[in-house]
Amino acid sequence: MTVAEETSPASPRTPSPLLTFWRTFKRNRMALVGLGMLALIVLLAVFAPQVAPYDVTRAVDVTIGDIYQPPSGTHWLGTDDAGKDVLSNFFFGARVSLIVGFFAAFISVVIGGVMGIVAGFYGGRVENILMRFTDIMLVIPDLPLMVVIVALTKPNLINIIFVIGLLGWTTTARIVRSQTLAVKSRKFVLRARAIGAGNGHIILHHILPLVMPLLVVNAILVISLAILNESALSFIGLGDPTALSWGQMLNYAFGRGAMSAGAGWALVVPGLGIVWVVLSLTLLGHGLEQVLNPRLDTHHLMPGRPAVQGEAGAPAVGPEGAPVMLDVQNVSIHYFSDGKSPARAIENVSFRLRAGELMGLVGESGCGKTTLMLALLRLLPAAGQIVNGRVLFGGRDLTALGEAELADVRWKGVSIIFQGAMNALNPVRTVGDQIAEAILCHDPSYRSRRAGRDPRLDRRVAELLDLVGIAKDRKECFPHQYSGGMRQRAMIAMALACNPQVVIADEPTTALDVMIQAQVLELLDNLRRRLGLSIIFVTHDLGVVAEMCDSVLVMYGGVTAEYADVDTIYNSPRHPYTRELLKAFPDLSHPEKRLASIPGYPPRLDSLPPGCRFAPRCPQAFERCRAEQPVLHELNGGHFITCHLIETDRKRRSKDRQTLSF
Amino acid sequence: MTTPEYFLEVHELKKYFQAGRPGIFSRRTRRVHAIDGVDLCLERGETIALVGESGCGKSTLALTLMGLEKPTAGRIIFEAEEITHADERTRKALRQRIQMVFQDPYESLNPTQTIGEIVAEPLVVHGLAREGGERQGRVVRALEDAGLKPAADYLHRYPHQLSGGQRQRVVIASALVLEPHLLIADEPVSMLDVSIRAEILNLLAELRRTRQISIIFITHDLGTVGYFADRVAVMYLGRIVEVGRTKEVLKNPQHPYTKALLSVIPVPNPRLRRERVILQGETPNPIDLPGGCRFHPRCPVAEERCQQDEPPRVTAAPLHHAACWLVSGKKP
Repeated sequence: MTVAEETSPASPRTPSPLLTFWRTFKRNRMALVGLGMLALIVLLAVFAPQVAPYDVTRAVDVTIGDIYQPPSGTHWLGTDDAGKDVLSNFFFGARVSLIVGFFAAFISVVIGGVMGIVAGFYGGRVENILMRFTDIMLVIPDLPLMVVIVALTKPNLINIIFVIGLLGWTTTARIVRSQTLAVKSRKFVLRARAIGAGNGHIILHHILPLVMPLLVVNAILVISLAILNESALSFIGLGDPTALSWGQMLNYAFGRGAMSAGAGWALVVPGLGIVWVVLSLTLLGHGLEQVLNPRLDTHHLMPGRPAVQGEAGAPAVGPEGAPVMLDVQNVSIHYFSDGKSPARAIENVSFRLRAGELMGLVGESGCGKTTLMLALLRLLPAAGQIVNGRVLFGGRDLTALGEAELADVRWKGVSIIFQGAMNALNPVRTVGDQIAEAILCHDPSYRSRRAGRDPRLDRRVAELLDLVGIAKDRKECFPHQYSGGMRQRAMIAMALACNPQVVIADEPTTALDVMIQAQVLELLDNLRRRLGLSIIFVTHDLGVVAEMCDSVLVMYGGVTAEYADVDTIYNSPRHPYTRELLKAFPDLSHPEKRLASIPGYPPRLDSLPPGCRFAPRCPQAFERCRAEQPVLHELNGGHFITCHLIETDRKRRSKDRQTLSF
Repeated sequence: MTTPEYFLEVHELKKYFQAGRPGIFSRRTRRVHAIDGVDLCLERGETIALVGESGCGKSTLALTLMGLEKPTAGRIIFEAEEITHADERTRKALRQRIQMVFQDPYESLNPTQTIGEIVAEPLVVHGLAREGGERQGRVVRALEDAGLKPAADYLHRYPHQLSGGQRQRVVIASALVLEPHLLIADEPVSMLDVSIRAEILNLLAELRRTRQISIIFITHDLGTVGYFADRVAVMYLGRIVEVGRTKEVLKNPQHPYTKALLSVIPVPNPRLRRERVILQGETPNPIDLPGGCRFHPRCPVAEERCQQDEPPRVTAAPLHHAACWLVSGKKP
């Protein structure tokens, strides 16, 4: 076994999911504010007997003078129509409103959750019946129905809770069903079936945990809806007369002349209570949603690493004499995130792409290939920033351009073919339309489709499709009607729409079968010869690169490992990483040979080794590699390599020479 | 009728799917011929590679063998037991002996379970090793057999904290924990980086040696089968078009489809750039199958008779068969 010494990317003891949840939750200001607001009101409700200045549950004698007293020292928020203290009413009313809200919501969420999961999981007739029932319930207006039911039954608290709960589950059921459908189609559910798990086990262990976050967020919104419903019922006089809720307070104040008496406080206080709770729940719900569906977790890096000595002035490999199309000089990219030191995703990468050149950019996942390519087009996500270096294209430095000038370069100068054609194409528009859109965006000389068909535009779309080998009558098809290979061809056609000089192909063949992969490679190779394109071909597969590239840049952990012409890379590689990658290839002429593999995994940006980034996996690493970061060396003929071994070799050679001269 | 010496026998297996429902005006149901008459035998401890492009039916075959799809026709005999139409209870028991590794290690692990829970799950489901210590021991052994050493480092982690290669090892470990006799690996390396693939392939080869597991290895890349498959079966449009010992098939391919697949394997050396047979188009839609040889519309060497009649299965060398008119050899 070769993985015995692999480095663990994270500490073996993982914090419990609850703890991790709390850590992210703490950072979300919206959720914290919501939780704080809610906690305050819940505490006041729970400790109402202790904090309320008067016990409003007990009957007291009132004189006419006590009614609708304005706020004063004895009654901070005045008194109500019965001469009771509004502040105390408010605290006790919170109890009723919150109890109704929580219990009704609990009923709704349980019913909706079960309905949604059962409908989504079992599908077929069960789903049809349940969901049509849900639709009917959804169409019936809730409030009038509640009014009717509560009016017909006794308006006590239990009835009200059940009526609100039993009518409020429809949205939950729909949301849970669609989430269940999404989870059900995921591969781990199929795997669970393959293991032999029954439906109950699958629902409990695989569906529910993934539906839960959505259910929790939804539950919080259902609570606020239930509180609003209770208030509405009470306001129109259908509340439990024995239990004073905020709605009830509003009802009494409104019905007993608070407005005409000028006693606004009797209305404003319960109203503000409702707004406060609903606002707190909304904030908490939205905050939770953000916490539970976190965006990309940005990496961080240990501080204080030495700056890299940029030895690479201007590397030059590839077809000599051809003009340089794209000159990338010492580009470094960092990802910034709050409170962490920046992640050094790319450090001092340089290369030169000549006209008509096909360069392979090779590396394992997570080595920064896509980051680098997005940076060339200045399409990095917000956290990413080019902190050093220049990207020269047509005499302009792309890193210094503004948005308007960039728009001019994107697609017309440099275009990109994205990985995963299905995701990069819009599923609801025809392929022809999407290609036309790319043309229209950048070439104002074409008239818009909507303003009447421009025959030139149609001709251009047909021409582009023909270029990539798609029959022009397929242009009215939608992406799902295309096969994987055709979608990738359509993506290529789109990239060529504005006659770019440079095309970046980001893993265009990774998800494709070998035969389709060969077709796409052949197409790209033909296009570059016919149109004189310069292509950067991004891939993790050195075999694919060998078939057609002129030069190869091997990246490892955001650093240039080796950069040379294709023959040098394959036949006299100097970097141990390149050599190991080549050894990992199955040799068809010796099929029985055991495959060599590189132990371990690429470094994570948040735990980069102090020395050479490849040192932990390198079979030739020595003391210095683990302590000191190697610089980029240039060997003869534009062969670049970042490795300490080069110096050792050089020294040995010069020593040999000295010995010889003696 | 059955020869009992085989560990797994598949006879004339067919799986058709309905393509949409019959319309009001048309009675004819259109059918997708996902698997259309597959014969396959496997010996105990043998590894066979099923190779073909997407849409050739190789994944459907895997799911049908697993009992996750019901076959339309044909027979499956596993360890001298007919399992074609096994009921739920038999099927559950069978799952202990036949396990599967899925293609996408990013998707086939539940993100909310820890690695320990994932690997223990099959034991829980089957009510095996109920005692805590024994269960833990089996989980640890499966993880370490799958190359995740020391297992204690991984038990409490979550899938998102592991790399693609490590996740695939977890998937393999959770299949191993039941100590299956047959492992069906559906494209286990195609989502992984080339540098990681070798490790997983080596792992499978080693498991086969140490645990005597038979493996059905499904892939679209003939290049990855060489080192550890005993035999290769090439599938096209629901049928096996060529089958033989791995070395034989790689060195001396008979069917034009196999030849084409072999020629497009990228060779990591620019000095060895060679003529490639790039087939145009893609695997045709398995609803409307072409007549005659189903490969003829894409075949670079198709003749008149290929369009008319279905080719016979020809024995080119011992244990090496191909279904093609142009292959000379012993006809049955």
